[in-house]
Amino acid sequence: MRKVFNHLLSGYGALFFIFLYAPVLLLIAYSFNSNPVNVMIWKDFTFDWYINLFGGTTSLKDDSAYVESTDQLLAALRVSLTVAAFATVISTVLGTSVAVALARYRFKLQGFYRVLLMIPMVMPDIVLGIALLIFFVGVGVNLGVTSIVIGHCTFLTSYVFLVVSARLAGMNPLIESASADLGASEWQTFRRVTLPLILPGVIGGALLSFIISMDDLVITYFISGVNSTTLPVFIMSMIRRGVKPEINAIATMMLVVSVLIASAGIYFRSRKTDS
Amino acid sequence: MRSFTSQQKQLLLLLSPATLFLGIFFLGPLLIMAVYSFLEPGLYGGVEWNFYHWNYGRVLGWADGFYEEFDIVYLQILLRSAGLALVTVLVTLAFCYPVAFWISRMQSRWKSFCIFLIALPFFSSMIIRLYAWILILRDSGFANQILMSLGIISEPLDLMYSGTAVIIGMVYIFIPFMFLPVYSSVENLDPKLIKASQDLGATPFTTFRRVIFPMTLPGVVSGCILVFIPALGNFVVPAMLGGAKVVMIGNLVEQQFLAARNWPFGATLSMVMIVFMLLVVSVYLIRAMKNPQHS
Repeated sequence: MRKVFNHLLSGYGALFFIFLYAPVLLLIAYSFNSNPVNVMIWKDFTFDWYINLFGGTTSLKDDSAYVESTDQLLAALRVSLTVAAFATVISTVLGTSVAVALARYRFKLQGFYRVLLMIPMVMPDIVLGIALLIFFVGVGVNLGVTSIVIGHCTFLTSYVFLVVSARLAGMNPLIESASADLGASEWQTFRRVTLPLILPGVIGGALLSFIISMDDLVITYFISGVNSTTLPVFIMSMIRRGVKPEINAIATMMLVVSVLIASAGIYFRSRKTDS
Repeated sequence: MRSFTSQQKQLLLLLSPATLFLGIFFLGPLLIMAVYSFLEPGLYGGVEWNFYHWNYGRVLGWADGFYEEFDIVYLQILLRSAGLALVTVLVTLAFCYPVAFWISRMQSRWKSFCIFLIALPFFSSMIIRLYAWILILRDSGFANQILMSLGIISEPLDLMYSGTAVIIGMVYIFIPFMFLPVYSSVENLDPKLIKASQDLGATPFTTFRRVIFPMTLPGVVSGCILVFIPALGNFVVPAMLGGAKVVMIGNLVEQQFLAARNWPFGATLSMVMIVFMLLVVSVYLIRAMKNPQHS
């Protein structure tokens, strides 16, 4: 009886992972399919869609290729990277400073700040997206990289805050007292003791921000201008225009990159906690 | 003027950048949106600065039929979105709850590997994960091809652009949100209590109902809320997999902003959505807190 139950549970777990990974693996496999008309009917193995994306010449006829979007694609990637870089730096500074303030000082508004930083994470994206759109248009800020960076920072700050707070909570405050007792100034204590100790949290928060910023679709969709489309928004509009083999190739490359970043992040974290 | 101590100065230095930033760019826009929902839509997509409650009337039913029409469809769409979100919550829970137990019993190396696999989609692009489902569900997609080559069907099924497709898509992208809180509550179960229940003669089912489930309830509740809220307000999944057939409240809001250009009404719809969401979540939270024993 118990054994049957355990087998059933394992089977269920296996199904769960198939559900989770089969669609994505299928997408990756079919990005090497040479059929230009129906991307899901297998013809031959080919790298052509990848070569096409990088502007290489392939055996494909011109009409089946989708090369004209390559420049737009690279432009979108550039916007995404620019936005993510700025948004990560700003939100890391903001989130870390609030986390340190809340963990190391006692003041009346603690509860207010905790709630304030929780709201962006539990609010539907679309609400923040339209609120920011109304705001930027009302104030007269042109929609573009700046508005996207600001928009991303409003919710990324919360993620950094959360990660750094967790790190601070696991830290022994006596170490800082010891540093002060040994005659270090407050700034020295912060720079030489506190900061190195919370650094893994700060880096983890920054990495998380970068990934979320690169992936954000909904908020960016509302506040990106005509000439500042980010990669996810660009891909969504591409998908809406129809399924093309190049999308599979782009998608596969993006999946590989995100797996690499996530693995690096987790490796980095586990290494830091060991030492 | 009162002079600050050095502690207060540091605190001020640490807090003021984030306070200013979030005050201006987060609370400010939300407040403006709330104000907008009470303004009159201008003729050509702008806004007139008059107090105007008919926006709410259109949704909630006090329109006079002259200035603004009341249309029950908005409430229907809100309820349908809530229904789809609820089904999404139940399906993700049905997936994640048993799997959490399965993984919690593994050896620690396998355990961390499995959790890594479940958390990984969170780090990869949502739009691409949805695109994978378009490839599977569309008329000439993978599912139809398999079914046709097996001879089960002769004509492709309409799998895309249905409520089912939207639910599949939402379950797929929200699974990590449910799994992680549920798993952490399962992982923190005290095996001694389960042993005690068994020793006292409880059947496995009673042990589950009276001991295991109540103890994992906090994780279940937070998982449900974490899935319900983004599912209710979602507009990307219905836009990609629901088409014109499955319109959710998020699509309605998007249309008001980017197509109909009636911003005050769009703001109203999203205010109604937020209030509804808060009501549902608070009812749920209060119930879960009041009687954790009765499940």
